[in-house]
Amino acid sequence: MSADHVMGVDLGSTTAKTVILDADGRPVATSVLRMGAVSRVGVKASMDRALADAGLDADAIGRMVSTGYGRRLIADADRSFTEITCHARGAATLWPGVRLVIDIGGQDSKAIAVDENGFVDRFAMNDRCASGTGRFFEVLARALEVDLEAIGGLALEGSDAVAVSSMCATFAETEVISLLAQGAAIADIAASVHRAVAARTVGLVAQVGPREPVVMTGGVAKNAALVRFLSEALRLEVAVPDEPQISGAYGAALLALDDLRGVRVPPTVGEALPMAP
Amino acid sequence: MSLDVVSKPKPNRLQSTRAAGAMVKEYWDRLFTAPDRGAQVVWYNGSALNPIFQAAGIEWCHGEAFSARLAAQHLEGPAQLAGEEYGYVGELCSYARTHLGCAVLTQRGKESEQSGVVGMVDQEVLASKLPSPDFFVNAYAGCSTGQQWDEISFRVFGKDVPLFKVSLPMLWAAKPDAGYLRGREWDNASRYVARQLHDLIGFLEQMTGRPFDWDKLRESMGYIKRAAELRREGMELCKGAPTPATYWDWIASIAPINFLPGDQALVDYFQGVRDEIAQRLQDGTAALPGERYRLYFDGIMNWNRLGWLANKFAEHDAAVVVGRYTHNAFWQEPHLIDPDDPILGMAQHYLLCPTNHGSHVLEELMLRDCADYGVDGAVFHATRTCRAFANPQHVLATAAQRELGIQTMFFEGDVADDSYYKDEVLESRLEAMLEAIDVRRMAA
Repeated sequence: MSADHVMGVDLGSTTAKTVILDADGRPVATSVLRMGAVSRVGVKASMDRALADAGLDADAIGRMVSTGYGRRLIADADRSFTEITCHARGAATLWPGVRLVIDIGGQDSKAIAVDENGFVDRFAMNDRCASGTGRFFEVLARALEVDLEAIGGLALEGSDAVAVSSMCATFAETEVISLLAQGAAIADIAASVHRAVAARTVGLVAQVGPREPVVMTGGVAKNAALVRFLSEALRLEVAVPDEPQISGAYGAALLALDDLRGVRVPPTVGEALPMAP
Repeated sequence: MSLDVVSKPKPNRLQSTRAAGAMVKEYWDRLFTAPDRGAQVVWYNGSALNPIFQAAGIEWCHGEAFSARLAAQHLEGPAQLAGEEYGYVGELCSYARTHLGCAVLTQRGKESEQSGVVGMVDQEVLASKLPSPDFFVNAYAGCSTGQQWDEISFRVFGKDVPLFKVSLPMLWAAKPDAGYLRGREWDNASRYVARQLHDLIGFLEQMTGRPFDWDKLRESMGYIKRAAELRREGMELCKGAPTPATYWDWIASIAPINFLPGDQALVDYFQGVRDEIAQRLQDGTAALPGERYRLYFDGIMNWNRLGWLANKFAEHDAAVVVGRYTHNAFWQEPHLIDPDDPILGMAQHYLLCPTNHGSHVLEELMLRDCADYGVDGAVFHATRTCRAFANPQHVLATAAQRELGIQTMFFEGDVADDSYYKDEVLESRLEAMLEAIDVRRMAA
């Protein structure tokens, strides 16, 4: 079997994502697997699943690029790139013409400004803590005793009757508990927390400068309430790809394909990053 | 398919700066024994007033410098705990918190009188070694904490120790004629501070009971001017690529220029640094073999991580070549110093603290330095407890991107509190910035 496929692997804080592309750059398999923190077992399972779905052996993978928190743990990767580069590359290909990528994952959030050529122009990341990330919503769901997947729907039903100000996951949980003790409706609390996260994200966007079109990636992009509140706060339409979680892995796979082809084209709209040492 | 394991590049640090370690140690050891010699001791913060103290025959203790020394030796913990136990919260400037902790420990005196959680005697020894002050002098520019710091120390010592304050106005440079080293604001502020330095000298004459030795001041300022000229010459030699010395070498040379005595030894030190750089240029020796990126560093130093940061940037082939803290501070404009009449030039340098400018002057200086040194990207060390330094950083980053089209990145850390530093944050952001620089180069 010829090694004419490429693999991009995004080993994040809570999920492992794998994308396999064929020699023409068409996705043949994707895998998103929830796991423990930067789990080697989890990432192997994600890679194995993607290979199985594609009906391929590992020998069919001619190049592999890793990204995410655990990118350096993937021994088989030919090269690793940061999430910034990979998300920009993935999003710019998924959504041609995008100028601002907002990626909110399990443990961090990023605003990536992309120039007219699809290059990373500026970026900003959340500082120090899990404020406004997937982990933050997990804490909220636990405090409200609702499923994580249901938290967005709940927020859309809520009003702005209450306010949560803290963006520290621990202190926000304390605030939420306090509001519950005062008898506040859980939908209102959920809405308040989502609005606070949206406001926080606007601050992140301000660091790189607002621009459009805006695409949101990462697991939190599946939260319809946050997307809506963020769109309202930014006063911009926020688009979400069909599979927002795989943007980083897709970008990594595209970089691997560049390397496999030996084509010197811009990284986000054609030219390869320097793949040599 | 597997990653190659390669040895990580290390910075080729200047050998001449090693002398600074011995000189600084000797300075502190001498200070610790000041009471045994019957010498008077002044505690001060902020501006480099040491030539005035030297001429007055007083031994001087620079609070920030001692905090930085403790942090660089990873011995800051006991002092910070003592400060927190006394009531200073972790959000307070960690320089101030550490030094105030030292004040608490000094004031407590003997170890047997100590109590609470501050009981790590083996580490505490250095933190509690400072001799008690005979008086305080405060001359802090551009930082509200700094301006109150010695007043708090004054209270720690029971308000029994005299305190003299020099007021250093902020240089906003907001008027049409104003700018770096120019305009009415600059002239007025320079004269205003110079007048206060004369008052300070009067205060010192009162404290010592001796007439001030003006000849001694002229002599020491002559040495400092020459040392500062040599330092600037060395910096100028680093504008080409690959650089023969880095920001980290200039960091290693801060203590000598900031608070060591103005004497021939100081001149000899900077002559050695300058000559080694010149020799490297002649020999084609790089400070970072394989230099691929040239970076600007904005932010006060993270003293807990000095070697760590130097190595980290080197591992990425990134030569940090210039920075606000090193290149825009510490007698950086020696032409202003007239050794025959040094007070005005000293006052001007005290105003030229890199936290004491309005943002457009800071922009002007940063853009100038980035262009002069051929910088590819700017790293902003967002010091968590040093807001004075961190305040204008987003403005500066925006200016660097807008005017020079260079990449920028931020990472969190602190001057003397390691708990604010997160290695993965720096690692990811640095890699991302270098990748973006690569992309631009490919596109070009």
